Amino acid sequence: MTKKNSLSRRDFFSTTAIVGAVGTIGAGALLASCTGGAPKLVPLQSLSGAYIPDLVDKAIDGKPLKAGLIGCGGRGSGAAQNFLTAGPNLQIVALGDLFQDRIDDCRKGLKEKFNVEVPDNMCFTGFDAYKKVIAAGVDLLIIATPPVFRPTHFEAAVEAGKHAFLEKPICVDAVGARLIMATAKKATAQGLCVVTGTQRHHQRSYVESFKQIQSGIIGDIVSGNVYWNQSMLWYKERKPEWTDMEFMVRDWVNWKWLSGDHIVEQHVHNLDVFSWFFGKKPVRAVGFGAKQRRLSGDQYDMFSVDYEYEGGVHVHSMCRQIDGCENNVSEFIQGTKGSWNSAKMEIADLQGKVLWKFDSEKEKADFKQTDPYVLEHVDLVNHIRANTAINQAEETAISCLTAVMGRQSAYTGAAVTWEEMSNSTLSYLPEKLEIGPVDMSTYVIAVPGKGKEVKKA
Amino acid sequence: MIKKLKLTKWSWFVFFTGLFACAILLFASNKALTYTSTDEYCQSCHIHPDADASWKKSSHFYNNSGVRVHCVECHLPPKESNKYLFDKAKTGLNDLYGFYFKDKKSFDWENKRLLEHAVKIVYNESCLKCHQNLFSKGLSAEGGTAHLYYEKNAEKLNLQCINCHLDVGHYNPNYKHSKMTGIPVTATASQNIFTAPATVTTFGNFTEFIPNSAISFNMVAVKGGTFKMGSPEKEPYRKSDEGPVRQVTVSPFFMGEVEVSWDEFWTFFASTMSEGRVDPNEVMARNANSPDAVTGPTPPFGIPDQGWGSGKRPAITMTHYSATIYCKWLSKITGKHYRLPTEAEWEFACRAGTETPYFFPGDPKRLSQVGLRSKLFGADTANISRYVVYALNSSGKTQEPAFVKANPFGLKNLQGNVLEYCSDFYAEDAYAKTGTTVNNPKGPDSGTEYVIRGGNYSFDAKDLRSAARGYTRTTDWLKTDPQQPKSIWWYSDIKGIGFRVVCDPDSSIVIK
Repeated sequence: MTKKNSLSRRDFFSTTAIVGAVGTIGAGALLASCTGGAPKLVPLQSLSGAYIPDLVDKAIDGKPLKAGLIGCGGRGSGAAQNFLTAGPNLQIVALGDLFQDRIDDCRKGLKEKFNVEVPDNMCFTGFDAYKKVIAAGVDLLIIATPPVFRPTHFEAAVEAGKHAFLEKPICVDAVGARLIMATAKKATAQGLCVVTGTQRHHQRSYVESFKQIQSGIIGDIVSGNVYWNQSMLWYKERKPEWTDMEFMVRDWVNWKWLSGDHIVEQHVHNLDVFSWFFGKKPVRAVGFGAKQRRLSGDQYDMFSVDYEYEGGVHVHSMCRQIDGCENNVSEFIQGTKGSWNSAKMEIADLQGKVLWKFDSEKEKADFKQTDPYVLEHVDLVNHIRANTAINQAEETAISCLTAVMGRQSAYTGAAVTWEEMSNSTLSYLPEKLEIGPVDMSTYVIAVPGKGKEVKKA
Repeated sequence: MIKKLKLTKWSWFVFFTGLFACAILLFASNKALTYTSTDEYCQSCHIHPDADASWKKSSHFYNNSGVRVHCVECHLPPKESNKYLFDKAKTGLNDLYGFYFKDKKSFDWENKRLLEHAVKIVYNESCLKCHQNLFSKGLSAEGGTAHLYYEKNAEKLNLQCINCHLDVGHYNPNYKHSKMTGIPVTATASQNIFTAPATVTTFGNFTEFIPNSAISFNMVAVKGGTFKMGSPEKEPYRKSDEGPVRQVTVSPFFMGEVEVSWDEFWTFFASTMSEGRVDPNEVMARNANSPDAVTGPTPPFGIPDQGWGSGKRPAITMTHYSATIYCKWLSKITGKHYRLPTEAEWEFACRAGTETPYFFPGDPKRLSQVGLRSKLFGADTANISRYVVYALNSSGKTQEPAFVKANPFGLKNLQGNVLEYCSDFYAEDAYAKTGTTVNNPKGPDSGTEYVIRGGNYSFDAKDLRSAARGYTRTTDWLKTDPQQPKSIWWYSDIKGIGFRVVCDPDSSIVIK
């Protein structure tokens, strides 16, 4: 019964949510409802106040939208293709990257899969390529460079009045987080649309889970566990002709100044889910971490962090990138009446009885497009074409800063508070950016605490 | 019925006449309201051509957008506000009173454009009425940080737009809304350069030379002795933290004849300044752990001398921490031991052998502006004005040392000009925590705020008594600093604060 109420409330307040709401209630939300004796639920928040994306198969038509891509690596090229898949009249017209070969690879993919050709004079290389892409007559920017550059690129895009898709993470330090937040406000002031690559926000199973939890089905949230444990990620074998800077940027997922370390670079997804569902900020983090098997760079390959959130709620976060270990990429949230986990996408009561489960078969039957990496672009394009604002940058910056806070605690051994982190002068962006030799002795693996260091043989 | 009808006819007439009169009145009053809100009307009474001229030079008069902002748009609340009419009337009455009853020459316009006064006549809601978007096109990253800070803290800290944008309505060449760049030229930079510090072999006054600069300053030998520290309970305007009175003995020391000047402070800045990319905690740890390393201030925001001039004027607005690092630097380059005075040393030097409220003759009640007698007959300024830069003689700013005479020890301006840092932590009950006879007291072992002594150019005489105590207010004084974290070097929200140094005599010096 309560579900009906929440639906009508949402209907009343938000017409844009109707299609999504109807579709999603159909998509399994009613599995456990209306059985007659169900206890009355107390909603955590009114969904009318929360953003629920309208996850339709395809973006609406409109005049051509021209996008420029900054950062033509794997994810950037992928995002460009996701964008082209999202709907009609969508174009990629300009490319920017530090390296010509990455641009060439990206063009090849666009040509082969979408028959899109980006002419030479619309391709730009170098650290200032982003300025040229922004100035190339585009409507929106897809920004997917290593994340340390994201705040600067986002600021330039918004200054030029462009919509933006920001691949996650969107910042790796406190100074960057503040620039994102101020720039997000500039974007909102102009009515620009900004979507970030935390694609779980555009994944139907997560959006439905969010709605279930907000309806009060697991009661009040009392704790959480978030995981990103996976095998080793990639690294680049250094070529003799590469300078230090070129090597690091090409090998960026292994260098903390570029990626923010993997707790920020990947695990931010899981931390972001908890912040999104819980709706509050962390206040304090105490974490461990180490580098055990990583082959390149100055990062850790494992973190374990205890986050304390507002209201005394604890979240255990763990992430690892080592082969041959137990893997798990998911979130678990415990409530007073039950729990939710994203591994099975189901909700169980305190006795383990399944109360709700996302029906992915039904999703496949009801929708043609189920890829959240495409759906996030569908939503972005729909907002741009409907002239309704969306801005995820501030929310994602908070999640990124949450990850940064855990990282700093693991690196130093000290407890790190949100207050300290949000006021910190921590900045990973070098003052001078140029391809060339770099004093590599400054890139050392963090060692927490005091005392004698154990030297590895 | 008929009678009533007649009456009604009559009342209709009254009603329409009334309505007509009201309409005329409304029309007239609306006209009056509009007329009295024009720039011309404002300027017809406000006989201060400077405000008119500076407005015309400001960004609110001449700018990219072509919009011109008029007097009442800043100096009254927005028209829609329910305070509008009341505040307009109040301002009008105040202006009329000033126009008809006050001597035009008595207005200190220079002073009135300072922030302290400006916040009373500029309405923040009026700023925000026009400036609806604080994250405007072209806003820099620093500006973004500052405006995020404003949004987060405006209500809690009562932040005003003009805390940072004081010159937008009236141009002020001495105001700068940006970080100071470069190093100010010290006044005597073209003179002889000292290659070595002063050599001091006897206990007497000496002139210290700052090596590799043309800057020198005088140090006065203070012999030390025993005195009654604090004020007796009957002293007018005494506060409880000034007691109980103790017999305090201080050892001999040298003390700066005057407060540390801008010439001296900029010399320190020039040789130690840092860029602020390093976490302040790291800087503080570095300064604390290594005896030789001195990492000095980051560039201040705006012009810290407030446009009053530097040179021999006392350096101001630096933090207590800045002052201690200055002493560390000065010690290092002179090979002596410079430090901030203890509170006891300061009061000993200020009293210069006297036990009266001031070292010169004077009753606080007669000298203060506060009492009824002073209100009627005016405060007695004859004596105090010769020795102290304070509210009634300062013209609202710091003054150079030549403005006043020295006390019997040969020290100038301990009481006035600028507040002075001491090395002690402040505690209200600090005096009660020791015995009644005490040697070289250094204050509480721990604390959060430091003792400041003396008063500044804006103080009333009652707060300039030799025994009067004050303390730093770190949070308030950094209220509008939007940096994250806030500066450890410069205060954003206090002007009249500085310090003077003391120097410990070398053990080889014989003190007779």
